Amino acid sequence: MSIHHPTPDACIACTACVVNCPVARATPNYLGPRLVGPAYERFRLLGLGEEASLHYCSNCKNCDISCPHGVQVSAINMTARAEYCLAHKPALRDWVLGHGELLARLLRPLPAGLKNFGMLNPLTRRALDRIGISARAPMPAFAPERFRDRLAKTYQGMQPRKVALFPGCFIDIYDPGTGFDLVWALNRAGYEVIIPKEFSCCGLPMIANGFRKDAEKNAKRNLRALQRMRAEGIPVISSCPSCVLMHNQDVPEFFPELVRDGRPQVLDAQAFLLDCVERGELSLTPENEVAERIIYHAPCHLRAQGGGLPGYELLRLLPGLRVDNADAGCCGISGSYGFKKEKYDVAMTVGAPLFDKVRRSGADLSCSECGTCRIQLVHGANRPSLHPVSLLRRVLEKRA
Amino acid sequence: MSRTTDILVVGSGMAGLAAAIVARSQGKRVALLSRGCGSLNIGSGCVDVLGYIDGRAVAGNPLDALDALPPRHPYRLVGREGVETALGLLREVCARRDAPLNAAATGNRRVPTILGTLKPTWLTLPSFQAERLETAETVLVAGIRGLKDSHPALVTAQLRRYPHPARIRWHETHLENPMPGAHRNLSPLDIARLVETAEGAAWLISGLHKALRATPADLVLLPPVCGLCGTTWKGLAAAVPVPLVEMAALPPGVGGLRLYTALLEELRSLGVDMIENARAVAAECDGGSCRALVAETACGSRRFEARAFVMATGGFMGGGFQSSPGEAREAVFGLPVLQADGAPLPQRPEDWSDKDIFGSHAFASAGVMVNADMQPLRADGAPALNNVFFAGRSVGGYDFAAEKSGNGVAVATAWRAALSACAQC
Ligand SMILES: Cc1cc2nc3c(=O)[nH]c(=O)nc-3n(C[C@H](O)[C@H](O)[C@H](O)COP(=O)(O)OP(=O)(O)OC[C@H]3O[C@@H](n4cnc5c(N)ncnc54)[C@H](O)[C@@H]3O)c2cc1C
Repeated sequence: MSIHHPTPDACIACTACVVNCPVARATPNYLGPRLVGPAYERFRLLGLGEEASLHYCSNCKNCDISCPHGVQVSAINMTARAEYCLAHKPALRDWVLGHGELLARLLRPLPAGLKNFGMLNPLTRRALDRIGISARAPMPAFAPERFRDRLAKTYQGMQPRKVALFPGCFIDIYDPGTGFDLVWALNRAGYEVIIPKEFSCCGLPMIANGFRKDAEKNAKRNLRALQRMRAEGIPVISSCPSCVLMHNQDVPEFFPELVRDGRPQVLDAQAFLLDCVERGELSLTPENEVAERIIYHAPCHLRAQGGGLPGYELLRLLPGLRVDNADAGCCGISGSYGFKKEKYDVAMTVGAPLFDKVRRSGADLSCSECGTCRIQLVHGANRPSLHPVSLLRRVLEKRA
Repeated sequence: MSRTTDILVVGSGMAGLAAAIVARSQGKRVALLSRGCGSLNIGSGCVDVLGYIDGRAVAGNPLDALDALPPRHPYRLVGREGVETALGLLREVCARRDAPLNAAATGNRRVPTILGTLKPTWLTLPSFQAERLETAETVLVAGIRGLKDSHPALVTAQLRRYPHPARIRWHETHLENPMPGAHRNLSPLDIARLVETAEGAAWLISGLHKALRATPADLVLLPPVCGLCGTTWKGLAAAVPVPLVEMAALPPGVGGLRLYTALLEELRSLGVDMIENARAVAAECDGGSCRALVAETACGSRRFEARAFVMATGGFMGGGFQSSPGEAREAVFGLPVLQADGAPLPQRPEDWSDKDIFGSHAFASAGVMVNADMQPLRADGAPALNNVFFAGRSVGGYDFAAEKSGNGVAVATAWRAALSACAQC
């Protein structure tokens, strides 16, 4: 596999990425984004060995967000990781964390209770810990049924319009409730929600764990469906910021040959709902008094999208809610990063300022678009955490 | 996305942050769009106002020297009163956010750098109050083992060459490496963050006590490692028996991050919408006014509508200009980038710079020509657009590096541009 290298040349070593890297803040064992990314790239291109601390990069993309010169630092790091993993077979642990969807598919015949007992009991956690998945990290539980299977059996009413949803593994496997909250809002706005059967894991966990080839396979499958939707004029949305970023930015960056015929867009679901409000398709008249105080956390992969914080904007439009933006940086989990035994403490240190802010905010609930951010928020700040669409439903749905 | 805001500010350097705060304080709905951080968060955070005019040091209060600048200089366009008001607002905000800025009674401060030079500047955080050196007789310059660019002997050797501090008795010391075994050379930022923890503060305080016992002195000069928030500084200053003065460092310079954090906190509490990771690339204009900017993002192009726009895109260094041999243009509106006298940049790229690195470079003062409202001008001197205003390093007519006026001009022009933008909506 010949790997296309993003160019490091625009880097002038200004250190903006160093200042803004949450991992470099948490541990002096990481050389930092500037040195591991653009600076070390010169040695990589000369064929010299890999920098020993590359594995610390969590791919949170704060380097990209802070770089004034447009250097794709995280893409340089992930490309280096892909090359390193071609020469050095990644550990079983990394395969497991990179292939959550496949594992879930293999385990599908088992009932959820058994799966959860099997995966979450202390004995298994100890065994997982031995292969490098921290026993201290919070592990999500399998839902009784995949979101898409349940949706296929759900009557959505006669809707005038259609929208395709890329559910993302988190909603599909662990958190169908949030998926149904989104479907509820979309139905109310007059959209029937469909999920093309090709949709599989966006590939981000594979990239982050060094399985570039597998990510390419998934990208191909997903692109088939995305192109079909485009041809049919059906917009595609996702409520998971990391999936959106992977489809729109990373797939074209890593696999340019796959998108030669154009780059089909996956839209942020919350921005789509805001547009529905603006077009008059969705009314935000509250049915319930939900005088709750909410503290909102913006996922790094949402900030990296360049579209502001539509989920937060949506919450602020909801009457009765008092929403504050925590604005305390990365939560630390970065998808699968914080589950790794040797990264668990780094991830918790990264998230500490956020946990502190949430705890001290006096809010009853935290709220964030990203599923793993929510797991980390519950774990670190000891408060329930919801997706913005779930709050939206709480406020707008007429209760019997 | 088409939701309209009143004022869209582009750029999150000193100029963009200041403009957004001023505009929001006027009650407008403000969004701040940027691709990357500006130079504030990596710099020393000292607010230079005017250090030199034509190579001659400015004595006394730099505000009194503004009238000696050429008429097209941004300070002259804003006017002394405006500059003073703008800096006053900055000081108010920073004081409220635990990052107080103050001036020395005698005029510009000369802040020592970790390379042993003296840098003239006007407003600084309390940790950079270099005028305290004037009454010191014995100064201990503290380096830290494991910290990069930490060479006390270089600092003392260099500072001895300056006429004023020459009478000082200089001593050097090295504090122990507080993070032995780190995989990287430590930066002042690493240590400042460590000092934010109880153990880190204890390491610094006991290290300084020990050093002062070995080498008594009446002032300690050290790299900018005294934490990131004002309370930490106050705690340290109270715990060490002699005054501490921080030196300005190479990026990451820590002091700038302290101010950047303070300004961001203010923006957020005021409710400015932040749009990160979006690069403005084009404008939709209608006759003489701009309707929307188009930005390139990870998710394709997006439109951002507003009633008025403040462009604080940082010139060549910040990414606000594009250049090719023989030509430079402002990147979003395609406005010409002209030299201080209004002439285009020379045809030959070699002629854009002076052979002497400290000489007068044509590129250094080139920028967008503006009027007193900070509206960009056409060749005939009329405003090119009525609802677009420039601020900071993208404005032409000054050379911040030679004059030492970077953050001062950024704040003054941002204040003017923001008020002009508010008057449009
Ligand atoms: C290392 C360093 C140290 C310095 N130290 C000092 C000091 O101690 N004291 C002092 O007074 N001055 C100092 N200066 C100078 C001072 O920082 C600058 O003059 C001043 O900050 C300029 O501010 P600005 O906001 O105009 O530009 P910048 O800080 O460059 O900010 C420009 C912003 O615009 C963004 N941007 C550009 N184009 C686009 C676009 N098309 N779309 C979206 N965003 C865009 C950039 O990413 C950035 O956020 C220093 C400069 C440097 C480089």
